[in-house]
Amino acid sequence: MPNRPDPAEAPTAAPLTNLTRSGGEMFAWSDRPGRDSPLLDHLIVELGGPGRSVLVAGPHPAGLVAALAAGGADVTWVLRSGTDAEAAARAHPTITVRSGTFGKIDLTSGYDLVVAVDGLQRLNSAEGDQLSADDLLRRLAGAVRPDGTLVLMHDNQLGAHHTVRLDPGARFRDDAAWSAATADPASRAQLTSRLAGFGLTTATTYAAFPEPSAPAVLIGGETLGDVASPLRPWLETVLAQAYTTAFRGRPVLADPRELVSRALRAGAEDTVAGGWLVIASTPGAAGLPPALPDVLAADVNGVYAVGADGPVTLSPAASSREVEGLRRVRVVRPVAGYRLEARLLELCAAADVRGLRQEITGYESWLGTGPISGPEALADLSDIAVTGDGPTVLSARWEPATALPAQIVLVRALWQFAVRLTTGGRPHPWPITASAADLAAILVGMAGRSLADEELRAAVDLQVTIDGAEFGLDRAGRQAHRLALRSVQPGSAPVDVAGYHQLAEALWRQRYQASHLLAMMEWTERIIQSRDAQLSRMDWELQLLRRGWGGRGLMLAKRAYKMVRK
Amino acid sequence: MHHANHHYGHSHILARYCGMPEPLHPPRIHGYLQHGWNIGDGLAPGTPYVPGARLLVWSGETRRRSWSQGRRNVAVVGAPFAYLVEMTPPSTEPGEGTIFYPFHGWEGQQVHGDHQRLIDEVQASETGPITACLYWNEYRMRPVRQLYQRAGFRVICHGYRGFWWRDHHRGFLDDQLTELRRHRRVVSNRLCSAIWYGLLAGREAAVYGDPMVLDNADMTFGGEPRLHRQWPELYGRETDFATCHRLARIQLGADELARPDELRKLLGWPKEGYV
Repeated sequence: MPNRPDPAEAPTAAPLTNLTRSGGEMFAWSDRPGRDSPLLDHLIVELGGPGRSVLVAGPHPAGLVAALAAGGADVTWVLRSGTDAEAAARAHPTITVRSGTFGKIDLTSGYDLVVAVDGLQRLNSAEGDQLSADDLLRRLAGAVRPDGTLVLMHDNQLGAHHTVRLDPGARFRDDAAWSAATADPASRAQLTSRLAGFGLTTATTYAAFPEPSAPAVLIGGETLGDVASPLRPWLETVLAQAYTTAFRGRPVLADPRELVSRALRAGAEDTVAGGWLVIASTPGAAGLPPALPDVLAADVNGVYAVGADGPVTLSPAASSREVEGLRRVRVVRPVAGYRLEARLLELCAAADVRGLRQEITGYESWLGTGPISGPEALADLSDIAVTGDGPTVLSARWEPATALPAQIVLVRALWQFAVRLTTGGRPHPWPITASAADLAAILVGMAGRSLADEELRAAVDLQVTIDGAEFGLDRAGRQAHRLALRSVQPGSAPVDVAGYHQLAEALWRQRYQASHLLAMMEWTERIIQSRDAQLSRMDWELQLLRRGWGGRGLMLAKRAYKMVRK
Repeated sequence: MHHANHHYGHSHILARYCGMPEPLHPPRIHGYLQHGWNIGDGLAPGTPYVPGARLLVWSGETRRRSWSQGRRNVAVVGAPFAYLVEMTPPSTEPGEGTIFYPFHGWEGQQVHGDHQRLIDEVQASETGPITACLYWNEYRMRPVRQLYQRAGFRVICHGYRGFWWRDHHRGFLDDQLTELRRHRRVVSNRLCSAIWYGLLAGREAAVYGDPMVLDNADMTFGGEPRLHRQWPELYGRETDFATCHRLARIQLGADELARPDELRKLLGWPKEGYV
């Protein structure tokens, strides 16, 4: 909803010298600010630098603009909303703010760095001519000085984030949808060729996940689409985590993690990426950005890059290192091997109980029997890869501050896998009516151990602590999460991302279970009747036998025996 | 619990394996446990089956077949006999002679065939003493029993498998394992559970002779001709032990046996304080 300025305040406000209104700015309108992205902030601030002129086109997080200005850059910020422009000019007196329809804004002076990581969607004002995607790109490219650089994020209309949208029409009914976005350019290749047509050479491109507005993982270079890359099992883990964080609690058509993981295995992640980040420069520019790593990622620990030499922390997170008995840790081990969870899911689908028993026993013996500290104590099976030298943790963000009993570690990991099997509607070789707790007991039994009630409760509590730290849940959120986790039945929907496909599967299972329970009840009734009749016949036989001389003698002897014992 | 779960003392063996407090009085199995080797969906033909109830089958192959027949709640547990073999110390004696299982139906079916011709065939092929193990209803038919006795066979019966929770011989399979191990070879005129059991117990096995005709035999899953086609390795007077033993392990799920706590959970047997 647009923020209307209070007319009473207007006369008293100081005139803004750093704001230029170019015409066509929107009144009674405010764009929600861009979402903070430590990953993009890091990249862009690196490309900024003292004395460089920077154009920020469209709504962006205020923190990014402030960081650029603080780095010594000469920043110009273009906004279509008059209100937003005034607020920006007031909040950042050292930067220049220009407001109006994008076509009318004077960009002729050129810039060393043009930043448009909010995309093309929010550049056109409702006033005046509506520039096409091509026109917008041309103007952005034209604003880049010789030796200058453009950083652009472009939304992928075929991205998983659009595909799983539960209400795809909503964005066309939005107040901002006066002119519906087209899917143009529709691919990364189209985007770079369009930019080439406007005189820019693409230096680096990345596929951005999970959403263009707040990417957590960027994949580029030779790693993109390379199924043989040693980073691949690790990428699957990191992307699953990024999508969990982004889509947690959001109703969707289908769990995006499934789609992305399948795409990743097919080397098609570029096609389903949330968007593409392009870093382009004028041809032959001396100031081309230095070679960037293939993979950049951000999580609770901050921003880091992963290349051939392993992970490098680029900017650590400022938040506290310890949360309720858990310590932040960064484990990034892109090793060649297979992911334990993927292997177990395959074995479950193939109903290979022998194979499952071997894998689970292998995992159990790797954990050992003593107390476990370090990241392996909290690693999900999806975070573990099995290499020639045995299992190893691929990726971890937390470790316990004090060592945990091996049994609880084992139970939590296997139970968590059981939850995934149950709520994801995944095929498995056990009764379809089994709850997550039942499956956990079977899996723990496969490792040759028993599962006591209190161990399961402790494992669920541990999971709640981990999720609480990861997603910043408050006390009520934790309690609700605990209750949801404790009651995962065959008909339960996923506890984190509620996909409609998964809900439909959960419904099918619920119906299956209900029909089973009804039929079972009917059968039990019949059996009780039959047993009653049998009992009655036996009672009759007994009475008959007791009436005979032998029976009477036996009864007398029994009574006598009882009296003697008293 | 379905009464067939008690047949041959199956539930009792599993209770022993799971360390249940009273293995002679096992708790209810939540589901239907496959009670004989089966070329169908794991259920004996005509079994009254509660839709959706668990079906606990012996082998992965049976599970797949069962799934193809629309059963969804199917889990592999392995044959109770395989658990018994697992629990019983292996025998060091090679055994002597042959134990012969003439093909049988059950109480509701009668077998038609010439027992004398069968006896002649077995005597012509086997060396050493021969034991004939008759199904309990044939054992009770004096003319049939005498036929084998007159031929010099030792005639035995493993007992009554029980019916509607009554009169089970709880040690049925224990007796069968002991008898199988007493002999060097196990022979039948039709591929049946006993042949697979014999192989699992480490004995040579062979199927030959008149397969006999069963009253109102169910041909849904191919019947006797299919047995020949699918498991030709078992047919003939001499068979290759290693090959047949491998097949027996598959059919009885001997390599897929659950661990005690896992099995307890699959059978739905609660243990105080445990999931």
